[in-house]
Amino acid sequence: MNALQRTVEALLFLAPQPVSLEDLATSTQAEQHEVFKAVGDLREHYDYEGRGLVVREVAGGYTLATHPDAEPAARRLLAKPRTPPLTPAQAETLAIVAYLQPVSRPEIARIRGVNSESATATLLERGVIEEAGRSQFGAVLYRTTALFLKLFGLQSVKELPDVAQWDPSPEEQAELRDRLLRAGEARAATPTSG
Amino acid sequence: MRTAAELELDLDVFSGPFDLLLTLVLREEVDLLEVDLAEVVLAYLDHLEARGELDLEVATEFLVLIAALLELKSRLMLPREEEDELDLEAGEAAEELLARMLENHRYRGAAAYLHERLAAESGHRYRAAPLPPELRRITIDHAPGGAYEPDVLGAALGSLLRAPPPVDTRHLVAPRVSVAERLAQLRSLLRRGSFSFDEAVAGADRVTVAVTLFALLELYKQGEATWEQAEPFGPIAVKGRDPAREGAA
Repeated sequence: MNALQRTVEALLFLAPQPVSLEDLATSTQAEQHEVFKAVGDLREHYDYEGRGLVVREVAGGYTLATHPDAEPAARRLLAKPRTPPLTPAQAETLAIVAYLQPVSRPEIARIRGVNSESATATLLERGVIEEAGRSQFGAVLYRTTALFLKLFGLQSVKELPDVAQWDPSPEEQAELRDRLLRAGEARAATPTSG
Repeated sequence: MRTAAELELDLDVFSGPFDLLLTLVLREEVDLLEVDLAEVVLAYLDHLEARGELDLEVATEFLVLIAALLELKSRLMLPREEEDELDLEAGEAAEELLARMLENHRYRGAAAYLHERLAAESGHRYRAAPLPPELRRITIDHAPGGAYEPDVLGAALGSLLRAPPPVDTRHLVAPRVSVAERLAQLRSLLRRGSFSFDEAVAGADRVTVAVTLFALLELYKQGEATWEQAEPFGPIAVKGRDPAREGAA
């Protein structure tokens, strides 16, 4: 390892949050392209030596993380899982915030078709979403946090795959429309039955 | 939590909790035309006064319900529009529902993706401890702008403690015209034959025009009068209706 790689390694060890390329360059007084190469070399070095740490690029910067091989032991050492899995309600709410941010709770509830108060509160408490001002109607808006990017291993929310891929196929949509219209006609035909 | 649905009503045609009335009206077991909605509102105001506090959420719920009932009732009272409008609405409603179901489906997919992604990432852990204070570049004690100076905090709080000036209500005046008065006037006009709405409100102010319209609706409800309007904003011709003769026909 050269001097720059060692310095970058030390900075990543110290930093509690991912460090951007610019910050690394400023603090090491090196050029960005040199730091970029040093980070890449450091990552390969860890990989090649089979170390317990990996270099990851998340939330707009570089950071050290543990290797998944250490996870079972880490779990025994720390006694509780790093992040409990998301409930379906939380995952849906988080997906809506991630794709539509900034988005208000009434809008989340409209899309989910149910009140999303408790899911939103839990996500806030877990620090994966945060408030982002208010809408023109005064409702609190939400966005995802840097912790969200870290936990989901994302550089930025732009890395999320296109949401349209989960739309039903045109055939499925047509069938859904047919079924809805038939249900409407059946109701219209018997107006007095409750 | 108490809701508007708990409101107990004692009306001429119905007595019971408000949500039952709603259900019955929606299932068409109580004729909405027979329910005096003003009584419902009065009962609700009494109910509010008795409780001595205003729960905004409950009050809002009630407003939405009563507004829906009023709209339903006013549709029933007015001469029936062409029927195909209803079909169009049903189709539109289905489209709207479909659009919402598709949107929901999309984010369900995204949710499943996030779920998997989180599980796949669960092998990696990051430093959880923050940097010790002596290593931080900026600490709260040295925060710029003096946000933690006591007099800054005091000045910020002080402006909140000052009472706002009282609201000037001098421009509000009590209404001087009643539906009963306008009813009497419309009935006297009817006795002389048909008339136009403009005649009935000639020279009157906006409030009087509005109250006269209510009186006219009341006459229609009682079966005493009917009216015709050839085009929007055109003259409204009002003529009397003999309930006895129509009943025989």
